[in-house]
Amino acid sequence: MEDNLREKLLTAFEGKLTKTIEMYLETCARCGICTTSCHVFRSMPRPEYSPAARAEVVRKLYKKYFKLQGKLLPSWGEAKVLDDTALDDLNKAAYSCTGCRRCMIHCPFGIDTQQIMSIAKLMLVVAQAEPEILSMLADVSISKGESIDLIKQGFIDGLKRLEADVVGKWKLEAGQIPIPTEVQGADVLYVALAGAHSIIPAAAVFNAAKENWTLSFFEAVNFGAFVGDPAKTKLIMDRIINEANRLNVKEVCICECGTAFRVLKQMSGKQSFTVSSITQVHARYIREKRITLAKNTFKGIVTYHDPCQIARNGGVMDEPRYILKHLTDHFVDMSKKPEANFCCGGGGGLVALGEDTHEFRMKSAKVKADQVKATHASLLVTACENCHSQLNDLNTYYKMGVEVKFLSSLVADALVRGIENKA
Amino acid sequence: MDTLNYIILVPMVYLSFAVFTAGIVFRIVSILRKPALPIPLNVYPQKNPAWLHALIDTFLMPAVFKAKPVMWFFLIVFHACIVLLVIGHIELIRPFAIFQIIEHDVFLGRGFVGVTLFVSLNYFLFRRFSSEARNLSVPEDYFLLILLLFTVILGSELDWARTWFGYGEMGAGEYQGYLTSLLVLKPDISEVTYSGHSFMLVFHVFFANLFLMFFPFSKMMHAIFTIPLNKIRRG
Repeated sequence: MEDNLREKLLTAFEGKLTKTIEMYLETCARCGICTTSCHVFRSMPRPEYSPAARAEVVRKLYKKYFKLQGKLLPSWGEAKVLDDTALDDLNKAAYSCTGCRRCMIHCPFGIDTQQIMSIAKLMLVVAQAEPEILSMLADVSISKGESIDLIKQGFIDGLKRLEADVVGKWKLEAGQIPIPTEVQGADVLYVALAGAHSIIPAAAVFNAAKENWTLSFFEAVNFGAFVGDPAKTKLIMDRIINEANRLNVKEVCICECGTAFRVLKQMSGKQSFTVSSITQVHARYIREKRITLAKNTFKGIVTYHDPCQIARNGGVMDEPRYILKHLTDHFVDMSKKPEANFCCGGGGGLVALGEDTHEFRMKSAKVKADQVKATHASLLVTACENCHSQLNDLNTYYKMGVEVKFLSSLVADALVRGIENKA
Repeated sequence: MDTLNYIILVPMVYLSFAVFTAGIVFRIVSILRKPALPIPLNVYPQKNPAWLHALIDTFLMPAVFKAKPVMWFFLIVFHACIVLLVIGHIELIRPFAIFQIIEHDVFLGRGFVGVTLFVSLNYFLFRRFSSEARNLSVPEDYFLLILLLFTVILGSELDWARTWFGYGEMGAGEYQGYLTSLLVLKPDISEVTYSGHSFMLVFHVFFANLFLMFFPFSKMMHAIFTIPLNKIRRG
C-alpha cells in the first residue's frame, strides 16, 4: 500500500473518531459474550464471525495509529499495520456484518458493532475497495436528485399505469386522485421504493383512510448508508428532506424499507415534519378506525419477522403485532422478545449485492430459517424490502414452505368498506 | 535489597499513582475534546428512566445473566470483591465511620475476599484458554489478569503469612503507618520491611503498581466508560 493512500485512509479513520466511537474502541474487554448473539456466528461458528472479532480488526488499527499503547507496546494489544491485508480483513469484517445490532443488546458495555464497522466501510470507500455496485446505486440516486425535473414527467406517466391497480384495491370517491403527487401542504409525504408493489397497496390504504397524501418522486432506499459513505448517505437523504420542506408536509411516511426509515428518523435532525414507518401509519389508521380490516382471510399460522432497523433499531415493534391482531387469530411470535429476533441475514447491503453474496447470505442465516420453521407458520410477514427478498431466498434454500408477504400488502388486501361508504 | 524495597515501596508507588491519575484524566479529556456523534444510537424498546436502566445494565448486567449465567456470577462476585478491596485499602490509611456501618475488622474479609477474587480471576483466565474467547484474546487480556492474580495472591495471603511468625509481626497497624507516611510525604518503610514476610508485601505493591500504570492505557478504562456507553444504548 502506498503511503499516500494509507494517509488518506487514516484521515478518514480519524474523522470517524467521535466521543462515542472512541469509547467503543477503548472499552471492549473481549469477553466474547456477543459471540453467540450474531446470527452469522450462530449459523457458521467461525472465530472471525464474532462481533468482537470484527470490531478487533478496526480496533487493532486504532491501537496502532491513534493510541499510545500501540506505539510503545504494539504486541500488547496486537496493534496492526494498515496494509493491503488489513484492508482485506476490513472488507471481510464489514461485509459479514449486517449491522443488525443484536450483539449490542447483549454486550455488557453496549458497544455498537455497526458503528465500528462504519469505520471499516468508510475506509473501503476511500480505498475504492468497497462493493462497486453499492456505490453505483448510490450515485444513481444522487444524480436523480440533481436532475429531478428531467425525470418528473416520465415518473408521472409511469404512475398512470398503476392507477387501475390502486382503484382495483380500493374504489375511489369522487374527486380522489389514485396516486397524488406534488400536493402542496399534504399531511403525509409517502416515500416508496422503485416498484409497483411498494406503491399500489400503500396508495389503496391511504385512499381508504382518506389521507391527504402525496407520493415522493424519490425512492426511499439509501445505498449510501449500505456502502457506509456518510457524504452520499446525506445527499440521498437530503433529497427527501428538501422535497418534504418544499411541499410543507406534516409527516414523512417511509415505505417498508428498514434502512431508509432509520436513516431519515435518526439522521435527519430537527425538522418541521415527523418521520414514520408505513407500519406505524397503518396501525394508527386502525386505531383511529379510519380503516377496517377483514380478519382471517388467510388460513394457517402467521409469523412476523422484525426488520432490525425498524424494530430493534427503530422502535417499531408493537405496531406490526397490533395490525396482525386485526388480520389473524393465529399469530405466533418467533422470539419471546421482538428485540432479540435474529436478523434475516440480508442487511447492510448484502441483499443489494445479489448473487455475489447469495451463498454467504444463505449459510449465515440458517438460524433465521430455523426460527421461522419452529413457528410452523405458513405465512411469513415482514415490513422491509431487504428482509422480504432475503426471506424469499431463504424460503427456497431451506425449503421453509412459507409464503413471504409484506405487511402493507396484507393490510391493503384486507381493506373492507364501512357501512357509511360501502360501494 | 533495601534499595530495591525502597524503590518499589516509595518512588514507584508515587509514580504509579501519578501515572494512574494523570493517565485517566488525560484519556477522559482527550475523548471529551472529540466531536459528538449527532445520531441517537439507542436500541429499543426504550425504558424510562433511561439513566436508571443504564445503571442497572452497568452494575447488574441483566443481559449477561440471561446469556451466560456462570460468567455473570463470576463477574458480579469479582467486581463486588474489587469494591470491597478498595474500601479495605482506604481503611488501611485510616478507619472511616461510613465503612463501619457494618462493623468489621481492618482489613475486612479475613482473606475470604481475596480467595474469592483468586477463584474469579482463575475463571476469567482459564476461560480465555478455551472456547471462543481464546480467539478474541490479545496479550493484554492475559497480562492484566496475571498481574491482578499475582497482586491478589500476595495481598490476600499476607495475613496468613503472619502466622509464620506467631501472628505478632507486621499487620494492619504497620500498613497504616506506611501508607500514612506516604500520604504525608514523609515515607517510612521501616515498619513494613523488617519481617520475614515483607517480601510478599513488596511484590504485592510491585504488581499493583504495574497494574495501576497500565490501567489508563488499557481496556481497564471500561471502568470509566461503561456508564456513559450504557446510557447511550438506553437513549
